[in-house]
Amino acid sequence: MRLLVRLQPVLAALGALAVAAGVLVAFGYPAQPALRALVAGSLGGADAWVATLLKTGPLLLAGLAVALSFRCGVWNIGAEGQLYAGALAATWVATRALPGAPALLLVPLVVVAAAGGGLVFGALAGGLRAARGVNEVISTLMLNFVAIQLVALAVHGPLQELAGAYPQSDALPAAARLPAWGRLHAGVAAAFAAALACQWLVFRTPTGFRLRAVGLSPRAARFAGISPERYGVLALALAGGLAGLAGGFEVAGVTGRLYEGLSPGHGYTAIAVALLARLHPLGVIPAALFFGALEAGAGAMQRQAGVPSVATEIVKGVVVLLSVGFAVATGAAASGAVPGAEDDPDAATETA
Amino acid sequence: MNVLVGLVRPDGGRLELNGVPLDLARWSPAAALHAGVGMVHQHSSLVPALTAVENLSFGALERGWRYRPSRERKRVVALAERFGLEAPLDVAVDDLSVGQRQRVEILRAEARGARVLVLDEPTAALTPTETRTLFPAIRRLAADGRGVVFISHKLDEIRDLADRVTVLRRGRTVGTLAVAEADAALLGRWMLGRDLPALAREAAPAAAAEPLLEIRALSAPGLREASRLREVALEVRPGEILGVAGIDGNGQRELEEVLAGVRAPSAGELRVGGRPVAFGARALRTARVAHLSGERETAGLVPGMSACENWILKGSYDDRRFFRRGRLDRSAARRVVEAALHEFDVRPADPDADIATLSGGNAQKLAVGRELEGEPPVLVAVNPTRGLDVGSARFVHERLLARRAAGGAILLVSTELDEVLALADRTVALVRGRVVAIPEAADRAQIGAILLGREAA
Repeated sequence: MRLLVRLQPVLAALGALAVAAGVLVAFGYPAQPALRALVAGSLGGADAWVATLLKTGPLLLAGLAVALSFRCGVWNIGAEGQLYAGALAATWVATRALPGAPALLLVPLVVVAAAGGGLVFGALAGGLRAARGVNEVISTLMLNFVAIQLVALAVHGPLQELAGAYPQSDALPAAARLPAWGRLHAGVAAAFAAALACQWLVFRTPTGFRLRAVGLSPRAARFAGISPERYGVLALALAGGLAGLAGGFEVAGVTGRLYEGLSPGHGYTAIAVALLARLHPLGVIPAALFFGALEAGAGAMQRQAGVPSVATEIVKGVVVLLSVGFAVATGAAASGAVPGAEDDPDAATETA
Repeated sequence: MNVLVGLVRPDGGRLELNGVPLDLARWSPAAALHAGVGMVHQHSSLVPALTAVENLSFGALERGWRYRPSRERKRVVALAERFGLEAPLDVAVDDLSVGQRQRVEILRAEARGARVLVLDEPTAALTPTETRTLFPAIRRLAADGRGVVFISHKLDEIRDLADRVTVLRRGRTVGTLAVAEADAALLGRWMLGRDLPALAREAAPAAAAEPLLEIRALSAPGLREASRLREVALEVRPGEILGVAGIDGNGQRELEEVLAGVRAPSAGELRVGGRPVAFGARALRTARVAHLSGERETAGLVPGMSACENWILKGSYDDRRFFRRGRLDRSAARRVVEAALHEFDVRPADPDADIATLSGGNAQKLAVGRELEGEPPVLVAVNPTRGLDVGSARFVHERLLARRAAGGAILLVSTELDEVLALADRTVALVRGRVVAIPEAADRAQIGAILLGREAA
């Protein structure tokens, strides 16, 4: 049983792949060439690995964002919006506020702006939750649309390229681009470092200790002098900052421009990443690599085997279902693998 | 008991009803209901927003697709009269007293055609008076041909009510006796596995000492109108246990929350050792007011965290042994906690064990150890032995008395009247959020009347 619990993420990932393969076969697609193309496109050779890592970067950061907030009992569905907010802030700094600044200044500023943009968006939902008890599932989900529309507004208006041809921002100046080795930019390395930092934060610091206590039992945390409201805001702000970094890194490391549809739903895939990782920051690394490889390979699968890349969406969905299912079946919900959305009967009385 | 009602499937053994063996491979709550096993749980399993009649109608809904309220009501009234189990039938169950709710639960089991009725500690939350009205109803059920399993750890209740008694300890049957042949000493030994000497208590402290804990004119909003705190005033002197007796829902929870710093009072003052203290969890901790809660799983401890993490939980802002300069020193915590777990006889004494895997008794021992660490001058203990086995409850009581002997001031708020009477030097009652004096000479019946809010006869 213990071993089964340990292996649960692996089983969930393999099970999801099997289900997706089964669906492909059922719809008459050739399973073997599809799988071969998937693997070749994600792991076969240096280029494939770079593609995988480039997809892994944002998934890693957004996955950490989700894992961190779920750990605190905050159901943050808003990584997508926080990602866009970060991308928007980063683009504004690089193309409008300080386009002429030297790289030594501009790159750090872009990074700070990205984190800041996401942080503000996360903290907004956190503040509403703490002050008015607004359910964060609703607020973060709705703020996703706000952020996506804000980006649309920006690239049609104030941030649109000066040439005015397309609804996209100007190209970021070279001084704003992240250092890179070929296509592989420094943001990917930063994402891996962020996982280590989060692991340390959650398990080795008083702040992380209190954050976990709030996630597992807000009422008991309150009796121990910890404010669940304050830690809810903190968790959402931190999560927003991480997801915002993901957006900023995309703009400053990959695309070089801001446009609508910048993220192919990284912020939503991040939920599957976090659950597959059982909310362990270090576990987010393999989970993000798994989904990164899947997304990188999906394109190759479509090109070479004619299999629609949406097949990978099935994998995402099944991973979420299997992860949650496993957690319930093994009683892991009680031990924090999935946040027990425990009621905190004091939340209302405190503000009354 | 969960096996009997089908919540847990047994992994061996036989279950027979009226001599007919039951199919245990397909044993489930529905099967238990069908077989005629009814249970009244310790905690109400009624739907709070529905009336008694509606709660009792669930069975009827399974029989057909039409719901006829007046017919259902007549059926319930007839049932209630037959067994003398009166309760307001048209009021939301939420607004009934614990005793009334319990009667509704028994009626529900009857309405479903129970042939065997399991009552799990039905008297735990009742006053002596309510208990006395419950017993004739249970006898009437038994006389009517029902088998009644009455679970209690109170020996005198068993003697008053039961025909035969079986003692279970650690999941094993120790023995079964006719009540007429059972004497208290033997049953006590069976329950505990050893002799239970009377609690040793030294003489009461000198009354002259200045109070360590003073609560003045404390008012606070309540979960319900009846539990709103109204100008509560209490004083506890060093070396004294002040008992606050009362029935659940009369402000105990609110008083606990205010004194733990998680519920803001609307008025009042708190003084510890003569100095005013703010109402906040961290201010109270700084003033060294410890808090032992009977709500282990929700207020005292964090399930999902390890024994070690639970031990250090309350020090996360000020305990420099484990939390300093932005770092959590886990190895220091494990060292200290491992020793402490041995000292307080917590089993397993494994600092990494998830607290949720510990038994209630062991979890509470851990909580006791944590709260008494560093000998806090003031301890607020609220239902400290709720749901504990006899041995663990004994352990908690002994620790409280030891703290008292060492000069601690203890405020013991408990709905368990026996506990209050056994431990407290002075006792007051908490009735509808007010503190009511209990005359020194009052007997149990008089105290019960006070707790119910009636004038002592």
